Amino acid sequence: MLRILHDTNFDFIKHWKTAAIGTVAFIALGLVLLVVHAARHNGNALNQSIEFTGGTVVQLQFQQDAPTDVVRSAVDAAGFSGSEVTTFGDVRNYLIKVPPVEGMAAAANADSVGAHIVNVLKQRVPGNPARVEQAQSVGPRVGAELKTKAITAILLSFLVTLIYLAIRFEWRFGVAATIATAHDILTTMAFLAMMRLEISLTVVAAILTVIGYSLNDTIIIFDRVRENLKKQRKETLREVLNRSINETLPRSVLTHATVFAATLSLLVFAGEVIRPFSWIMAFGVFTGTFSSIYVAGAILLYIEHRWPRTPAPHEKGTARALAEERRRERPAPVGTR
Amino acid sequence: MPLKYRILIIVGLCLASIYLLFPRDVTTRYRGADGVLRVDTSRHVPLRRGLDLQGGMYLALEVDDSKQAIAPADKKEAINRALKTVRSRIDGFGVSEPVVQTQGDDRIVVQLPGIQDRERAERLMQDQAFLQFKITDKTQALERALPKLDQVIKQRGLSRKVDTTSKGQAATKGLQGLLTQADTGLRGKLSPATPAKKGDTSKKVVAAKKDTAKSDTANADSLKLQAGGAFSSLLQQGDTPGGFFVASENVPTLDAYLADSVVHAALPPGKEFLPGTDSQNLGGKVYKAYYLVDAKPIITGDYLKDARPNQQALEGTVVEFTLSNEGGRRFRNETGKHIGDYMAIILDDRVQGRPPVIQSAISTRGQITMGGKSLADAQDLALVLRAGALPVPLRVAEVRSIGPSLGQDSINKGLRASLIAVALVVIIMLVYYRFSGFLAVAALALYVLYTLAALAGFDAVLTLPGIAGFVLSIGIAVDANVLIFERIREELARGKTVRTAIDEGFRHAMPAIVDSNVSTILTAAVLYQYGTGPVKGFAVTLIAGIAASLFTSIFVVRTFYIIWLNRSRGAQALSI
Repeated sequence: MLRILHDTNFDFIKHWKTAAIGTVAFIALGLVLLVVHAARHNGNALNQSIEFTGGTVVQLQFQQDAPTDVVRSAVDAAGFSGSEVTTFGDVRNYLIKVPPVEGMAAAANADSVGAHIVNVLKQRVPGNPARVEQAQSVGPRVGAELKTKAITAILLSFLVTLIYLAIRFEWRFGVAATIATAHDILTTMAFLAMMRLEISLTVVAAILTVIGYSLNDTIIIFDRVRENLKKQRKETLREVLNRSINETLPRSVLTHATVFAATLSLLVFAGEVIRPFSWIMAFGVFTGTFSSIYVAGAILLYIEHRWPRTPAPHEKGTARALAEERRRERPAPVGTR
Repeated sequence: MPLKYRILIIVGLCLASIYLLFPRDVTTRYRGADGVLRVDTSRHVPLRRGLDLQGGMYLALEVDDSKQAIAPADKKEAINRALKTVRSRIDGFGVSEPVVQTQGDDRIVVQLPGIQDRERAERLMQDQAFLQFKITDKTQALERALPKLDQVIKQRGLSRKVDTTSKGQAATKGLQGLLTQADTGLRGKLSPATPAKKGDTSKKVVAAKKDTAKSDTANADSLKLQAGGAFSSLLQQGDTPGGFFVASENVPTLDAYLADSVVHAALPPGKEFLPGTDSQNLGGKVYKAYYLVDAKPIITGDYLKDARPNQQALEGTVVEFTLSNEGGRRFRNETGKHIGDYMAIILDDRVQGRPPVIQSAISTRGQITMGGKSLADAQDLALVLRAGALPVPLRVAEVRSIGPSLGQDSINKGLRASLIAVALVVIIMLVYYRFSGFLAVAALALYVLYTLAALAGFDAVLTLPGIAGFVLSIGIAVDANVLIFERIREELARGKTVRTAIDEGFRHAMPAIVDSNVSTILTAAVLYQYGTGPVKGFAVTLIAGIAASLFTSIFVVRTFYIIWLNRSRGAQALSI
């Protein structure tokens, strides 16, 4: 039987202060970078894809059939990477969607973008001149209204998670898990800012996946905590937390390993299109694991300290553990022992 | 559960999934407007490739200037408002990752993956879906205006040759006779049956018992229609107040008259003369219905909250709608004032079905009868009603096919990476859990099959990022198995027998698996309900994946273990 990190007894909670400082610093750095980006890129703090910004659409007509990959590489060579190049009807007509170029007004942009692409194409395919049929500005694929709706939906889903966990566990678990999830969103935004990744719909999907993944991880540890609290042990919540994290460690290692392996393969082999998505997921595996232990766990301890439970008569083991904990812990703040 | 049933369920689901994943012809039968049963066959290809992998259909929509003049300055604003409606209509069409955006100042560009039903897509974009409820005229206003109309047409020199046979027939027999003659067939078809719904019989919209007294007067009045005039010779009195019939071959002539502004001005003031969707077969000729209605609607579709298609025994396909509370209040007030009158339901200036009698005040619920259209048509109508009316009429200016937005190179890379990712997950599971890992991998194969089938059922479209996400979900899907296996290991370490350890392992892992997955499903459900477009698509994929993952890791792997335990009776060691 192959076993990794079996029967461990690490004191994870001990390092919560260092972890807290680390993550706050990380998020702060991300925020600062966002401000810097905003200043450098005309107020666009986030590097949004053409799906969010809109841009210019250029319709080209060649005299003869033109191979798609040649047109595509010509558009890249013209400095318009991130463009969408599609054939339009047949292989003589092309539709090219170009993201906005900084420092150019949209209206002036349209014609010059078209002219520039045609020039580059002239050098690349000398015998087959292209003509700009049409050059127009194009609106975003995801409008402001869609964005607001998506954000409302995400916030609502937080609320539902909170209620579900409050019913299945206790409100304090729900609050801790929700804060941990919020933390993951913040760190992911900070990561986005640091990498200056392009935010597309795919990246949004990746962030949503990270949220789900992290929540999953937190709940699995909390489930152990719930189980261990029921056992009649004279342990403080802090010890129960540590024990639970250690007990679920083999599972965490293996699940993170499979997800990370899949992510890594996409990151290395899948090319440009999938890359931002893979980066977010790779980061998500880390932040999700981190927040389950250091954010959710620490918050849970803090809540327990501020608002100690009145143990129900049927939870005798829990009651004893908690009474013990209160007696020992009340004078000192969390984690300072 | 006996092993036999377990295997039956797993195999049954496999067969259903394989069926869902094969292209097939879908045949729907419906009764056409003329009452003939028709068969409509279309090719259904599951898991079409998306715009990035395969390309699709490109539709450019423009403001239709022919229908109403709109100042160029207002066009941009109108297009922006129309965009919202078009987008929600397409979103309602399915989870197909479309592109909808404005282009320039006066165009909306729509890109749909694959080219499936071009006509249906065009119709969906162009229907303005402006819904109005208007009271039909019962004052014989049109009859009184007829001399004037005939005169105007004569003066304008618009008079055309009119098919006189219908008129002749009507003149000799009299319209009353014609109606009586056709009575059985006609009345049966025409009379709108009362839609009886449980618990809501009296207030439920529309329609009505036949008001014989009223229709008799109407028929008697119909004889007063003068013959001879260019306009009046086209019309025959219908059997509802304000209702008329026009022989189908005369419809173009009538429409030409009505298009003339002077003729239009001669129509009774405060009234509108609108075509209906109804047509009747009378004495071997097809007649189209026209109605004279009040110009001012009692309510418009602005107050519509919901619309759903339905099949009913008597009326055939209908669209049931619900008004908002405020709309319901207004509707109740207005219909309360018009008890006994006929109410026309008008969609894009066409009267839908036959105007029903208002029996009592109606509040928030009603229905539109579709008169023999297919259920797909009802679905489309419900969809455009839900999405709201277009602020301006649009027309399709250009339709073309577009190629994939990704190069073959990118597609190949993405697919190769996906395969490597799956292989890595499989290797990790096999190395770490050996035989049990093998069982988990076998269950994963079923996970892939079930999830793809579920996505095909939702009519989802495959895109490269979608495939990457799916691959990632495979990595996440093993989590439930890992949880169970680790529990089994713990139980084995405590010295339990293999059989007990497996039982206990599954039992103890269950709360964690259920809580973590249910919370994710709830999240996804909220995203589905309140999200739009891509967020919705993500939610569907997530729900399909979790359901399949739960089923395979808990039910399927358990079944594998049971089979294994039965086969190796007295096995002392489990490879895990």
